[in-house]
Amino acid sequence: MSTENSSVAEEQLVKYRREPGMVLQMLRGIQLAQNFIGPGDIETLARSLNLPTTKIRALIDFYSFLHDQPRGRYAVYFSDSITDHMLGSRERAQQLCRALGVQLGKPDEKGLVTVALTSCTGLCERGPAVLVNGIAIDRIDEQRVTEMAGLIRQQVPLGDWPLEWFVINDALRRKGPLLDNDLRKGEAIERAIEIGSQQVIAELQASGLRGCGGAGFPTWRKWDICRGTSTEQRYVVCNADEGEPGTFKDRALLNTYSRHVFDGMTVCGVTVGASKGFIYLRHEYEFLREQLERRLQRRREINLLGRNILGHHGINFDIEIIMGAGAYVCGEESALIESMEGKRGIPRIRPPFPVTHGYNGRPTVVNNVETFAYATGIVARGPGFVAHDGEDPCWKLLSIAGDCRSPGIYEIPLGTSIRDVCEMCGADDVQAIQVGGPGGILISADELDRKVSFDDLNTAGSFIIFDSSRDMLEVALNFTHFFKHESCGFCTPCRVGTKLMQAMVDKIANGHGARVDIEQMQRLHHLMTRASHCGLGQRAAVPILTTYEKFPDSINDRVGDVDFKPAFDVEAAIERSKQIVAEETRS
Amino acid sequence: MSGRIRIDGVSIPFADGQTVMQAAEDAGVHIPHLCYHPDYAANGSCKLCTVAIDGWQTSSCTTKAVDGMVIESNTEELNSERRALTQMLFVEGNHHCPSCEASGNCKLQNQAYRLGMTALIFPDFTAGRATDATHPDILLNRDRCIYCELCVRASREADGKDIFCITGRSENKSLAINSDSGTLADSGLQVEDAAANVCPVGAIIKKRQGFRKPIGQRDYDERRVHHNKVRLPNLPKLDKAPGEKVSVATCSLAGCFGCHMSFLDIDERIIELTQRISFDRSPLNDIKHISGPVDIGLVEGGVCNTENIETLREFRDNCQVLIAVGACAMDGGVPALRNHLDVRDLLEESYINGRGIDSPQIPVDRELPYILEEVSPIHEVVKVDFFLPGCPPPAEAFWLILTDILDGRQPDLPYDLLRFD
Repeated sequence: MSTENSSVAEEQLVKYRREPGMVLQMLRGIQLAQNFIGPGDIETLARSLNLPTTKIRALIDFYSFLHDQPRGRYAVYFSDSITDHMLGSRERAQQLCRALGVQLGKPDEKGLVTVALTSCTGLCERGPAVLVNGIAIDRIDEQRVTEMAGLIRQQVPLGDWPLEWFVINDALRRKGPLLDNDLRKGEAIERAIEIGSQQVIAELQASGLRGCGGAGFPTWRKWDICRGTSTEQRYVVCNADEGEPGTFKDRALLNTYSRHVFDGMTVCGVTVGASKGFIYLRHEYEFLREQLERRLQRRREINLLGRNILGHHGINFDIEIIMGAGAYVCGEESALIESMEGKRGIPRIRPPFPVTHGYNGRPTVVNNVETFAYATGIVARGPGFVAHDGEDPCWKLLSIAGDCRSPGIYEIPLGTSIRDVCEMCGADDVQAIQVGGPGGILISADELDRKVSFDDLNTAGSFIIFDSSRDMLEVALNFTHFFKHESCGFCTPCRVGTKLMQAMVDKIANGHGARVDIEQMQRLHHLMTRASHCGLGQRAAVPILTTYEKFPDSINDRVGDVDFKPAFDVEAAIERSKQIVAEETRS
Repeated sequence: MSGRIRIDGVSIPFADGQTVMQAAEDAGVHIPHLCYHPDYAANGSCKLCTVAIDGWQTSSCTTKAVDGMVIESNTEELNSERRALTQMLFVEGNHHCPSCEASGNCKLQNQAYRLGMTALIFPDFTAGRATDATHPDILLNRDRCIYCELCVRASREADGKDIFCITGRSENKSLAINSDSGTLADSGLQVEDAAANVCPVGAIIKKRQGFRKPIGQRDYDERRVHHNKVRLPNLPKLDKAPGEKVSVATCSLAGCFGCHMSFLDIDERIIELTQRISFDRSPLNDIKHISGPVDIGLVEGGVCNTENIETLREFRDNCQVLIAVGACAMDGGVPALRNHLDVRDLLEESYINGRGIDSPQIPVDRELPYILEEVSPIHEVVKVDFFLPGCPPPAEAFWLILTDILDGRQPDLPYDLLRFD
C-alpha cells in the first residue's frame, strides 16, 4: 500500500480545517478535482482524520457522485428524471455514447470520459439536462450533443466550453408576494431584532406558514420548540437538498432570491438563539455554490452576517454551505443532519426530532429554502405579507414541468385548483398529473377540481403533467426504479421491498406480468407503508399502485387475464450453456 | 416515568426509560425480533418487532413505553407482515438451512418457524457477496448477513474495537471490516469478543465448531416443545367424489431423492394410503410419464436443467394440486449453492479438473439437457399451490398433509414438523 500523501486530499484537509465531520466535503472536493477518489486519497484522509479507511469507503459507496474508480477527464451525467426522459434524455445519452464510442455507465479505457445516468438534476423545465464534472448544462439537443462530443474528444477544458451553455435562467412564470416584492436586504432581520423573538413567532403563527418541504409542520412551532430548549448551542439548517424529481423552485430561489433565504435563516437564528446556520446544498446545484459563497461574503462585509449583526451587540450569526454528494434520502431532515456530520445519510430513529436533538446532538431548526424565504417577508411586513382571499393561508411555489406550453415556476395561493394551475401553464391535454413528485399523489384528468393545499394535494413543489400520449406504466416504472436506486438500505421492508417492486414492475412492463403479480405488489405495498423506517420506503410502491388504480388499462393491457406467468426465461437461462457447447464443439 | 402498558390485552409494568420491547421482554411477552439485543443500543432496522400502538405502526425496540399505551402485537395482520419480512430476508441472502452451520441455532430460522413460514414467495436474489475466511478461528459468510448490525454494535459498545461497519446503500449494502487489509485477518477480532458471538444467523461463525450440537439439542430444538401448532396457508381443495381414489404423481428434479425416502418412512401406513390413493408417474413405481390428469403432484428438487423444466411443466399441466416438497424445491437448496459460479467453471470442475477423470472433456451430446445458469426453486418456473419444507420433510409431515388433503381438512402442522433442515 502506498504511503505517499495525496496533495489533492491535503488541500481538502486544509480547506476543511482537518475536521473529521467534514470528511464528506473533502471527499466531494477530491472527486470534483480529479473525477475519482484514489486509494492514496483515502489513506491520506484516514490517517489525518484518524478514521478507519472502511468508514471513508462506506461514504464513497453510499453517495452516488463519489467513486473510487477513475471516471476520466469528463464525467457526464444525464438526468434520468421522468421529465428529462420525456424530453429525450435517454436518446441524447445514447447519442453521446455512440459519438464517443463508449458504453453508458462505463468509464472508457483511455481515461477520457464516463457517460452515465443520474437521478433528477432539478432542471426539469429546461431538460434534458446534464452535469459535466459537476456543472449543469440544460436544453441538451442533438446539435449540442454533437458539439459536446467534439469538445470532449479534443479535450477542451470545461472552462472553454461555450459560455451560454452554462447560463441557467429561472422561468418565473407567475409572481406572488415572494417573487415580486420590494423587501430590502436585511429588512426582516432589523424588524426581528426590533420586535423580539416572541413577536416573530406570534406573527409566523398568525400567517399560517407551514414547512414548504412537503411535511407541512407549522413553522412557528418548530422555531418555538427550538427556542425553548435549554442549551447554549443551537443550529439553523436550510434544506436545499431539492431532490424530489420534478422540483426546481429552490434552485430558482437560491439563484435569484438568495437574499430572502439568507435573511430568513438569520431571522431564525436571531429568534431561536442560534449563531450558526448551514445551507445543505445538493450536489447537483454546484453551479450555484460559488455565487452563493460570494453573496455570503458580501453580507459579512455589510454586517448582515458575522458578529454584532447590524451593530446589535451580542447578535451573532453566520452561514456556511455544506454540499450533498448524491443521495435523495438526505432530503429527510435527520438523514440530512447525518450527512452534514460526515456520515452516510441514514434517517435517524425519531423521536427525538432534530428540533431538540439535531446537528451534533444540538437543537436544530431544519427548514426548506422556500420556508425561510416566506418567513423573511412575514417577519419584515407582518402576516399580511402572505394573505390572500382564499381559505387556505399562504402561498406556494410550484415547479411545473412536463407536457404544458409554459413550464416553470408559479407562485400560487394555497387552495388554487388544479384546473386553474393547468390553465396558467397551458396544459390543455391532461391525462395525469403527478403532484408532489414520485413520493406524492398521481391524479387523473377527472380530478382537476382538487386543490393544491395541505389538506388535499400536498406538494413540496413538484408538479409534473402528462398528456394523453404518455404511457403511464412507463412513468410508474421510472419512479419505481428511482426509489430502489435511492433506498438507503437501512430497513428490511424498503431495502428488499424496493428491489422486489422493481422486479415486478419490470416483469409487467416486459409483458411477463400476471394477476398474481398485481396482488403481490398490493400486499408488499401494504407492508412497506406500514413497516418502513422513513417516508421513502413508505411511499416507494405508491406510484405503481396508484397507476393501477387510476390508469388500470396501462397495466391490464399488458397483463391480460393470466393468473400466473413466471419471470423465468428459459432462453436466457441456457444462453451460457449453449455458448459453452458451441465453443466445445468447435475446438 | 414508569407505569403500565397493555400488550394484546395483557397489562405489564415498565420501568423508567424502557422501550416497549424491553418491557415486554422483562414481562416474558415475546415480540418477534432479529436486530434487537438487550445488551446493545436499539437499531430498529429489521422491523420484525413492528407493533401497532394506539393504531400507529412502529418498531417496539425504538419506542419508549408511555403509561397507558395500548399495543397490538400478536395479531394475524402483524404476524403475516412479519412472515413477509422474514421471507424477504431469506430471499435477499443465501439462507440454505440444510448446509448452514447455524441451522437450529439461527434466530432467522426460528422466527420463520414461529411465524409459520413455509414458502419463499419472492424470487431469490442469489447473493454473491465475498466470503472472508482469512481469520484463523472465525469465518464471515456475507451471503448470510441480514444487516441487523449486531456485530457492528457489539464490537463498538462491548468490545471497544469498532471492527465492523456498514457500507453502500440499497442492494449494494455490505458489511465491511475496519482493518488495513479490509479482512478479518488483521482486524483484531478474537473468538471471545462479543462481536464474534452475537450474530443471530450464520454470517459470523467460528471455524471448526459447526454442527457440533446434534439435532435435537440445538438452541431452538429444545424450545420447540413450547410452541403450539403452526397455522399453514390454506390447502387447495380437490374436487373428488367421496370414496373416489385420489391419484398422486411424484418426481425428483435437482434433488437427492431424500424427500422420497422420507415419504417412504411413513412405513406400513403406506398400505393404508394406497387404499385411498393411486400412484401415477413416480420413482416409486418407475412410471416415466404422467398418464393424464392427476390430482396431486409432489415435486422434489429445484430446477437445474432443461429436462427439469420439461418434467416440471408436465406436472403443472396435469396436476390439479402441485406441492413443492423439500428445501431444494422451495429455495433451490444445496444445488443452488453453485448459483454464483460460472457454468463453465462448473463443467470444467466436473468433467476436466475433477479427481479421477479419464479422458477429460465437456460433454456436448445433443441428447443431453442444457444446464441452466442458476438452479431455481420450482415456484419461479410454474405456479405452486402448496409448500412442504424440510430437508427432508419428516415422514409424519407427509402423512399429515396428505391425509388432511384427502379428508378435506385445513392443516395445522405441529411445530416440530415444520423444519427447513
